[in-house]
Amino acid sequence: MGPKILTVDDSKTIRMIVARAFRPFACEILEAADGVEGLAVVKREKPDIIILDFTMPIMDGVEMLTKLKSDAEARTIPVVMLTAESGRENVLRIAKLGVRDYLIKPFKEDLIVERVGRIIDLKARTEVQAKAKRYDDPLHVLVVDDKPAILDQITSGFTDTKWTVHGLAQAGQAVDYCSQRLPDVILVSLSLPENSGYMLFQMFRASVKTKGLPILAMAVKTATEEHARAQQFGFTGIITKPIDVEDLKHKITRALNLDTSYRYFERRDGLLVMSLPANFSPAVANDVSTHLRAKVCEAVDSGINRLVINMGQLRSADVNLIKLGLGAIQLCQELDMKFILIGSDVVCSECKNYEETKDWQFVATFEEAIGVLNAKTPTLV
Amino acid sequence: MIQEFDELIKSAVCEVFQTMLNMNMETKPFDTAIAANGESHVAGAVGFIGRLTGVVYIHASEPFARRITTTLLGLSPEEVQGQEMVNDAMGEMANMIVGHMKSRLADRGMPCVLTIPSVVRGTNFSIEAVSSTKGSLHMFSCREQYLFVEFLMKPTKAEA
Repeated sequence: MGPKILTVDDSKTIRMIVARAFRPFACEILEAADGVEGLAVVKREKPDIIILDFTMPIMDGVEMLTKLKSDAEARTIPVVMLTAESGRENVLRIAKLGVRDYLIKPFKEDLIVERVGRIIDLKARTEVQAKAKRYDDPLHVLVVDDKPAILDQITSGFTDTKWTVHGLAQAGQAVDYCSQRLPDVILVSLSLPENSGYMLFQMFRASVKTKGLPILAMAVKTATEEHARAQQFGFTGIITKPIDVEDLKHKITRALNLDTSYRYFERRDGLLVMSLPANFSPAVANDVSTHLRAKVCEAVDSGINRLVINMGQLRSADVNLIKLGLGAIQLCQELDMKFILIGSDVVCSECKNYEETKDWQFVATFEEAIGVLNAKTPTLV
Repeated sequence: MIQEFDELIKSAVCEVFQTMLNMNMETKPFDTAIAANGESHVAGAVGFIGRLTGVVYIHASEPFARRITTTLLGLSPEEVQGQEMVNDAMGEMANMIVGHMKSRLADRGMPCVLTIPSVVRGTNFSIEAVSSTKGSLHMFSCREQYLFVEFLMKPTKAEA
């Protein structure tokens, strides 16, 4: 859920404004209407930060803060004072009480988020939720590049996905855009004039709203100095120009931790089926390996103890396929799981040529695989 | 002194409305016909007590008070049920305006404390102060919506 933020204010209006300000972030908002209630919430919920009003009935902010500071458990909780009174003496008095920061009413919501974000780690809800997103979910990609051809290339490369691309030519436009709407991922050209690509990156990283967004740098393949500089800056990744769209999709998938397992794993007829696609590549092998253990363990946990490894669509058997196959077989053996391989004629014959795979037994179809697994099952009992 | 307060009121109202509601309030000459047009009004009041003692009321028609509330809270009009949210929002607006004034006064060596906000509603009410009380009336507008600010102050010992 993220950090707990306690707002203590006798005005419900202010508490609602504070709650609204933090709505885009993965955090829990706790409320109290006075100091007494506030102390009770602190004891019960142990918030990560307190936004405290100065003037309140029953127990005001000063008294609550004094009590907090004398409590061994609660004294370290950072407090941001929120007050309508900004006179010099008042500000000095607040500072002496040991608050981490103070804000004067009226205040902009962005300001309170920025100040709190300097003290606790705030993550955008979209960033947290992205972990659960799938590759085939709609994604919003912001491209900041002054070369229209690049934008066209990326847009046309994503036509087989539900990803939408929004292109902007200037860094300033990107800042304005992100203040209104947060994309899932940002691609920034490093060839924007006056180093504005780097400056944009720094601005996004300095803002609480955008600091967790994946930002990929785009640079010419041979511009190795730019690549090194981008890495030093901390870009999430580097996309080389000319753009290889498949590589770009793969990097976005990794940057957003998108779930791609559904492309390779499915449950059918009481079995777990791992199907390798015709366009099998090192990237695909890596992708499947990432999900393999979790998916197999998940299946075993839910009572499925048979795995079909379907290589029927593959045109050849290479070292990546062999490594993946060996990993899957070893996992099945560890878990006492029965498995069977489906292979095309080419894959079957090529596997005979390798020491590690010469003993692999293949069937040709899924129905055949079920037949074999069903026949084997009684012998397991 | 009153003139000084008038300037404080204008800057406080404009700043609070701009910051919290993104509304540009323009000062207008006070017009009794607009202020007392028979519409239901909501008034938020906050007093200040110290070297200077007084009270500031901010009035708005019920529809404008609702608009202030929906804008302040980012809610749709349907979400603002009953009067409580509007009362609280108008009280808080008054608190912020008077808090802003209080801070400026404190910087000028006139510290005071604020009272907890209170809210008055009605269709035909007037605020009448004792004869010795000094005060001023202000009118602000934003897109044909009006806000009235009434300021009342007890004379200082020197003035009395």
